[in-house]
Amino acid sequence: MKIYFIILSLLFSSMNIFAGDFVTRFMEKYSDNKQEINNVNIGRSMLEKMANQTQDEDLKKTFNNLNSIRIITSESRKDSKDYFNKAQELVSEEFADFKEMVSVNERNAKMNVLFKKTDEKNQELILLGLDADNKLTIISISGKIDFDSISKLSDTFSKETQSEIMEENIKNEVNEQNE
Amino acid sequence: MEIEQIDKLLGKYWNCETSLEEEQLLQQFFSENVVPDNYKNVAPLFLYTHNEQKEKLSDSFDEKLNQKIEERQKKYITIKLFAPALKIAAMVAFILALSFSGLFWINSTKKQHFAETYNDPLAAYKEATLALDKLSLALQKSEKASLETLVQLNELNVDWDFIDSLNMEIYKNEEEIELKEEQNLKL
Repeated sequence: MKIYFIILSLLFSSMNIFAGDFVTRFMEKYSDNKQEINNVNIGRSMLEKMANQTQDEDLKKTFNNLNSIRIITSESRKDSKDYFNKAQELVSEEFADFKEMVSVNERNAKMNVLFKKTDEKNQELILLGLDADNKLTIISISGKIDFDSISKLSDTFSKETQSEIMEENIKNEVNEQNE
Repeated sequence: MEIEQIDKLLGKYWNCETSLEEEQLLQQFFSENVVPDNYKNVAPLFLYTHNEQKEKLSDSFDEKLNQKIEERQKKYITIKLFAPALKIAAMVAFILALSFSGLFWINSTKKQHFAETYNDPLAAYKEATLALDKLSLALQKSEKASLETLVQLNELNVDWDFIDSLNMEIYKNEEEIELKEEQNLKL
């Protein structure tokens, strides 16, 4: 009898694994044509290409270590709130093995970051965000996630943006002088 | 039978040296003759053995026994019929579980379950950096909140050494109680 029980558990556990990542489950369960929802998927090969094209070492390392980045967004105010609640329900129903890392509950914005580590190279992260403009962002990242490098990235991006703005300003000035 | 012979046989009986025939002689003596007074205390033993040996199986005993054996054999046959089916079912379930796990492993290592949205790395880069920026900001927010909590705790001027010493005392007391309990148990 014991052996049958073990075999059945094995069977069900393997079926559970097949259930897929958070974005897949979310899209399967809640996405329909009536409500506006955008989905962006970036896989391993694209991440490698992106790593080859960037000069920033932290970003290069981050891209190389990741397996996928999947994003869901919704601009609709009404739908976003609904989707955010549904995403939280989905986490508690099917992704209860994820541990909450960050929980921000401000008056206008909400954000939850959940994390699961299977082993060193197989880690998964889910970010559920509802910003002040009621815009929904769901991010699912898998691979080797280096939090130290990622937390520094925001500063890098702001520097990049600033340097891009400066470059554009210089170009504009040169153009004006030439004219 | 002479009393002397009975005495001799009884002596052998108590020493466990009597043969089956001799024991039967003793049983016969105590069941047929008027037992002398000095043997009255041992007579019931031989009478009991004599009477028990008279007990015989009824004529229907063999029939009943065979019937019971047949019933048991019938039960055994039903189990035997199901056992191979269960084994086959278990094997099928095991193979299915293995195949599912194997497929999952192959898929997780080689393939991804979704289609790439962009062919252009620059477009993908923009989305990826936006996502990572959002995550980075969340992590920074969490770090900042943790630091602020630490600063607030520092501002409370809590005497941590005193709290530590209280903890140590509690720990010591618990250890002493445990030691006493162990000693009591040993005693």
